[in-house]
Amino acid sequence: MSGRYQSNEPGTGEPQAATSPGQASTLPGDRPDCVRQGTVPDVRLPGQHGGVTVGRRPLEDSEADGGMPRLALLSAIVNSSDDAIIGKTVDGVITSWNPAAERMYGYPAEEVAGQPVTVLCPPDRVGEIREILDTIRRGERVVHRETVRRRKDGTAFPVSVTVSPIYDEGGQLIGASSIARDITEQQQARAAAALRRRADDLERANRNLETFTYSVAHDLRTPLRALAGYSAVLAEDYGDALGEDGRGYAERIQAASSQMSALIDDLLRLSRVSRAEMHLQTVDLGAEVTRIAAELQRDDPDRRVRFAIQRPVQARADRALIRCVLEDLAGNAWKFTSGRDDALIEFGTTAAEDADVCCFVRDNGAGFDPAYAGKLFQPFQRLHTTREFPGTGIGLATVRQIVQRHGGRAWAEGAVGEGATFYFTLKAGEIA
Amino acid sequence: MSRSILLVEDNSDDEALTLRALRKNNILNEVAVVRDGAEAIRHLFPDDRADVTPPGLILLDLKLPKVDGLEVLRRIRADEQTRFIPVVVLTSSKEQEDILGSYHGGANAYVRKPVKFADFSDAVSTLGMFWLLLNEPPPDSNWPSFEG
Repeated sequence: MSGRYQSNEPGTGEPQAATSPGQASTLPGDRPDCVRQGTVPDVRLPGQHGGVTVGRRPLEDSEADGGMPRLALLSAIVNSSDDAIIGKTVDGVITSWNPAAERMYGYPAEEVAGQPVTVLCPPDRVGEIREILDTIRRGERVVHRETVRRRKDGTAFPVSVTVSPIYDEGGQLIGASSIARDITEQQQARAAAALRRRADDLERANRNLETFTYSVAHDLRTPLRALAGYSAVLAEDYGDALGEDGRGYAERIQAASSQMSALIDDLLRLSRVSRAEMHLQTVDLGAEVTRIAAELQRDDPDRRVRFAIQRPVQARADRALIRCVLEDLAGNAWKFTSGRDDALIEFGTTAAEDADVCCFVRDNGAGFDPAYAGKLFQPFQRLHTTREFPGTGIGLATVRQIVQRHGGRAWAEGAVGEGATFYFTLKAGEIA
Repeated sequence: MSRSILLVEDNSDDEALTLRALRKNNILNEVAVVRDGAEAIRHLFPDDRADVTPPGLILLDLKLPKVDGLEVLRRIRADEQTRFIPVVVLTSSKEQEDILGSYHGGANAYVRKPVKFADFSDAVSTLGMFWLLLNEPPPDSNWPSFEG
């Protein structure tokens, strides 16, 4: 706090008169003129009405506190305050003004003297000033009211204001003192704390959702096992009695159970990639695609698929998550080219205005109707039947989720029978 | 005397399918079934422990009523009489926390129950074969403590 003092350090041994320039001044037109040369205000806090009483005593009686004249001492206290301390009449005319007020509001003392305090107030809060003055006239204080005040340059800032009535020796109300503190920092701290609370709430809500997803997925699998299990037992133990049709139905129950099991697994994976912690590093996506291509070929050795893979393609990414993206996209390309003898899957980069790296995975497979391109990335949306191409419709939703977590975007282009191209953007990796 | 199996399983379908898979694969060891974690603890740690022969294999589900599987596992590993019994976690979950938690707790194996019955049956049969026939169990009584 003391670092913000710009002048008037108290206790330097230099007695400071109340009227010296730039100090708490008795302003022309004071009413009443309670601070005057040769007399010292005897200030007692609180006064009989919770206010301030100002009396007068001869100067020589009040030499206390290391020989410093009482007036100078009080003046130094006011001058050194970091709070704006303002004297005003009961009608709201400014009568005194300390250096902190000058710093806070931007008006020098001489300019603001005799002005109504409403100049310190945004136009929409003038009513509040009237209300405060009414409170003062009733002999009551306004304590730590948080409001908004206006600087000379018109900017508004938050303050905490305490206004107290001032009485003379006879108990006559003669004005008010107003102490205002700039609470910009406190408000910012409060806003930051509120934001933190919001973030905590959100995190808690997310965690609850994850727990829910986990529990649903777990609990859904259990009856599925029973469906698959008992239908298998039926076919095994009572196959003869069931006949061919009956065994076929039992098989269908098992196939449907397997499909739902795959759906649950993919949903869980989507939920996992949404919350997995990210460790960003420079990854060669081309190398990853090369590995994935080899795995696809190994798992399905009868397929003849040509790969054209650009290398290296450096991008900043979480390796495990971006591998999910490439597996899904390459896996889709593999799947949707299954009807072609001359299947070709390409991986490379292209230019994009809004990103460092724009990658694509292109195939010459079944393609899709571009009218539904937007639907592709929504969970459970499929443009093909599971009979044509197996799948759950969650893979591309997972792709988009991961790409968005990397700050990029994902989209698709294609036409029926003419293949599909899937794009996604990332931030550039460091060039190795 | 062939060693018994303790199956800790709250779902009656999973119980029936597990028992069938064991039987069909000629694993004819005695099977005791308990249906929640508290019952499992009572079964393993009865008041009069002299009568009890510990099971040779525990198949443990994680998500259990009353006391969950990880707590049951902790109790098993904390007791001198049961600390070396092979415990296979057999559950629906593939969550990393569950897998890690099980290994931290001292599980010997972690197997996710497959939905496809043929796979499920294979898994149960393989576990029974390995842990009851192939694996050499610790000596019967007063297993020495190697701590300290």
